[in-house]
Amino acid sequence: MDATSVAIIVAMGLVSYALRLAPQVLLVGWKFPASVERYLRYLAYALVVSIISTSLFVSAGRFAGAAAPRRALALAVAIAVAALTRSVLTGMLTGTLLSLLLSWAV
Amino acid sequence: MLFSRVSAIRCVMLFSVSFREGARAAVPVWIAFTTSSFALGVAAKAHGLHWGEITLMSALVYAGPAQFAVLEALGAGKPALQILFATLLLNLRFLPMSATLAPYFRGVSRLRLYFAAQFISASSFVVPYFHFQRQEQKSRPGETSAAKCESDLDFFLGVGVTSFTVWVAGTAAGYWAALHVPPGFEEGMKFILPGYFACLLASEIKGRMAALVCAASLLLAVPGALWNPDWGWIVTALMVATTVWGIEGWTRRA
Repeated sequence: MDATSVAIIVAMGLVSYALRLAPQVLLVGWKFPASVERYLRYLAYALVVSIISTSLFVSAGRFAGAAAPRRALALAVAIAVAALTRSVLTGMLTGTLLSLLLSWAV
Repeated sequence: MLFSRVSAIRCVMLFSVSFREGARAAVPVWIAFTTSSFALGVAAKAHGLHWGEITLMSALVYAGPAQFAVLEALGAGKPALQILFATLLLNLRFLPMSATLAPYFRGVSRLRLYFAAQFISASSFVVPYFHFQRQEQKSRPGETSAAKCESDLDFFLGVGVTSFTVWVAGTAAGYWAALHVPPGFEEGMKFILPGYFACLLASEIKGRMAALVCAASLLLAVPGALWNPDWGWIVTALMVATTVWGIEGWTRRA
């Protein structure tokens, strides 16, 4: 294991733990306003979608132009299948299979 | 003396009953965690992480989106500050979750709280929260005895500890499985986790504003990442969330 990576992981753990523990110790009986909860939810959505987008469409600091169309298609199909079947797992497996088949075909 | 022994036995029994009740309620969470942690393990291998690193991360961070977010950055040796900032932003959602649970654990010892805090996650928050809400409707208003708080914490631990175990074991199993994937399957492995999160998000988001946040982030993250590979996508995500939130607030007032 790389020592720097382990140190970063430990620091990530401490940040996460502090966010979990702080309200238990400091904010007993305190409620976040609904608008703040909504903002935090939107922020989490925006970050997760940004990660999805950059992991699929950016490679080594450049736009992954060759792979982008097939990955976009696989992503759209995965979401559609998940919505139709109401199964996240089925959607993910369908998208994965399609992206694999398209990468072999192109 | 006899009374304290009876109380101690009662407490142990209460612990085991509530804990087991929580563990039973967590079965759907285990199923969801098995697939997502497995996918995380597979993706970690694809990004060149050591199995010990990803397993340690699952145990210490225990937060799917944040772990997913840093895989590429960690594998590519990007700045630690960027990784920690992304972790902080993604895990800010623990603040309202933890604050919502806090009143139910008011009477328990600090030591138990410090231990339990590690097991707060989105899924292990929802199950106990709805359970406590149902219990509250059955009991008299304002009834929060110390025994009730202990029992609530035991239920939470039943959900949290078992789900946590599934998460860590699932990550290690996913990594192990990825070691045995033959060459030529890299594209599929690369798609697994983003695909899983996209499907999960699609099933969870409700409302036009949330959909707008997702659509705008999907489009703007790439230019953001091209503008600045380390911080660009974080800045665009912050801008999108803040802008949509601002528009929503403005339309509510108007």
